[in-house]
Amino acid sequence: MHTELLSIFSKSKPQSRKKKKEKLVPSSSISFIIKSKKTLIMQPCSREMQAMNSLLNPTQQIPLQDLQINGNSHHHQQIHVPSSSQFQYPTPTSTTHHDDSFLEQILSSTTSFPWSDETGPPNPEDNNNAGFNYDEMVLASKLRQHQINGGAAGNPFSAMKMMLMMQQQQQQQQMMLAGRPTVASAAAGGGITTNHQGGEGSMQALYNVFGDGSLHGTMQAKSFVGANSATEMTQSQGSGPTAGEAVTAPEKPKQRVRARRGQATDPHSIAERLRRVRIAERMKALQELVPNANKTDKASMLDEIIDYVKFLQLQVKVLSMSRLGGAAAVAPLVSEGGGDCIQTSANGGSHPRNSNGDQTPSANDRLTMTEHQVAKLMEEDMGSAMQYLQEKGLCLMPISLATAISTATSRSRNPMMNHENPTNGSHLLIQSSGGDGPSSPSMSVLTVQSATMGNGGLEGGAASVSKP
Amino acid sequence: VKNPSSSLKSRFITRFLGALTKINAEDPISSPSPTRILQLYRRIKVASNKSMAYSVRSRRIWSRAMLSRFRSRRSAFSGRRSSVKTTNCTTINVTINENKTAKGGLDMQTDELRELVPGGEAMDVCNLLDETAHYIKCLTTQVQVMRKIVDFCHISKKSSM
Repeated sequence: MHTELLSIFSKSKPQSRKKKKEKLVPSSSISFIIKSKKTLIMQPCSREMQAMNSLLNPTQQIPLQDLQINGNSHHHQQIHVPSSSQFQYPTPTSTTHHDDSFLEQILSSTTSFPWSDETGPPNPEDNNNAGFNYDEMVLASKLRQHQINGGAAGNPFSAMKMMLMMQQQQQQQQMMLAGRPTVASAAAGGGITTNHQGGEGSMQALYNVFGDGSLHGTMQAKSFVGANSATEMTQSQGSGPTAGEAVTAPEKPKQRVRARRGQATDPHSIAERLRRVRIAERMKALQELVPNANKTDKASMLDEIIDYVKFLQLQVKVLSMSRLGGAAAVAPLVSEGGGDCIQTSANGGSHPRNSNGDQTPSANDRLTMTEHQVAKLMEEDMGSAMQYLQEKGLCLMPISLATAISTATSRSRNPMMNHENPTNGSHLLIQSSGGDGPSSPSMSVLTVQSATMGNGGLEGGAASVSKP
Repeated sequence: VKNPSSSLKSRFITRFLGALTKINAEDPISSPSPTRILQLYRRIKVASNKSMAYSVRSRRIWSRAMLSRFRSRRSAFSGRRSSVKTTNCTTINVTINENKTAKGGLDMQTDELRELVPGGEAMDVCNLLDETAHYIKCLTTQVQVMRKIVDFCHISKKSSM
């Protein structure tokens, strides 16, 4: 199997000679591979190490391939052959193998990772491999660091992710050196997003990188590997994301684009974020419904919404009152039932009470104040009075109803039943000036907020200011 | 594209007018006794809310809660127990409102919203906002329709007078 690969690489060898020094020299690297592969396999005692070794291998292979790809275009087709053959090579055999071993195989042809002294490359190749080995050393240090941190040493998935990131970075480095930053950034971007997405995505990105310059020959490998990796990833899915998160933190690459912290794959934060987004959506929808929605603060917006709901409920009550056969029936209702209704809304509740004329002194005071102000304004200037009312959220009802109320209330002994919502939301301002109410101006104003009603109250008639 | 609010409106209108005519048929409006009128007012209000709730059918949490409340209220109407309960609720409401400060963050407002929207106690904030939006929409429809009816009555009354 090694000889096959050797031949493959040797084919591409002459092309690689034209490239810069930092690029891979396949022939030397191949001998390096063959030498060190065995040692590599024997070296790791635990399965996880083995897996990590196999995972480490693609990092070298990818630059190799991509460098060849990114090189002269006329090499492109030739490169496809080795890559496709490389991929096709593992596929038939790996069906029978376990996942880890499959990865091992697929990366078997790559340069091995220099595991400290044991797999040191032979000296004459050092010069050629200088650039390449440096990267390898970097990766080795990173991997060791990762292992030392013990984040997810037992987790091939996280190691895969990490290696993917490192590979992306390395790739990016080399891409930039090669003068093809677009591919690198795309690959890096893919890598980063896959860090965010998780297992399958990372595998996909890995093979996206592979498949950047290669033809359909790799596709079957891709799909197969994707399926395999999916099964592998699902095994380690639980600890994967958290491990991945831990992994990204301690690493300190030189030029690597890091996975953003905000994209943490912690399921709790994701759920939290989702919840916040949904709440924001709903708030926006509510903002459109409720008038005066210029508040940016969430709390004030909620206040506005609450007031509006109260106001609407109140309006239903008022309208159901006035439904009862016109003005004549309304007046006594206002005096008795209306007091009910007003008081409950003053207290912020929407439950009608049976007690009549039960008023809290605070509500009275507030309303008389408004009433006085409006009266004053009305004496001066109707326009400003209207403005004041509208600013407070009030408008005037048609005259007929108002006069009916005034005449009715003049009969029945009726103190000021005023109500004002202190938060400037819904208002029901009923001022009944009895004939026996000397001090206050006899202004019968039944006001209902006209926000969405299209000034329905106003169109009915002029302001009903009836002075005794 | 069929506008859902218009169909809601038409459904509500038909139901409400039907209920009104029924109420009207039962008792003539001309009797001015206050208690009677109060009773009528309550019935109309309930009829309005009920017809709205029925128009929404059970597609919304608040309508379902409202409907169940109606049904329970009807069953317990004899002893007027429901009204007693409501007075207790209002007294509690007063104390809560007095203690209302801004320090509670959004919890205070969401609690208040829960009280306003029927069936809001058992909803999380996300659904609560959703239900509130729909509830507001239905309430505005209700108010629009009732206002139109009132105006119509006024006009007809004026013309008859």
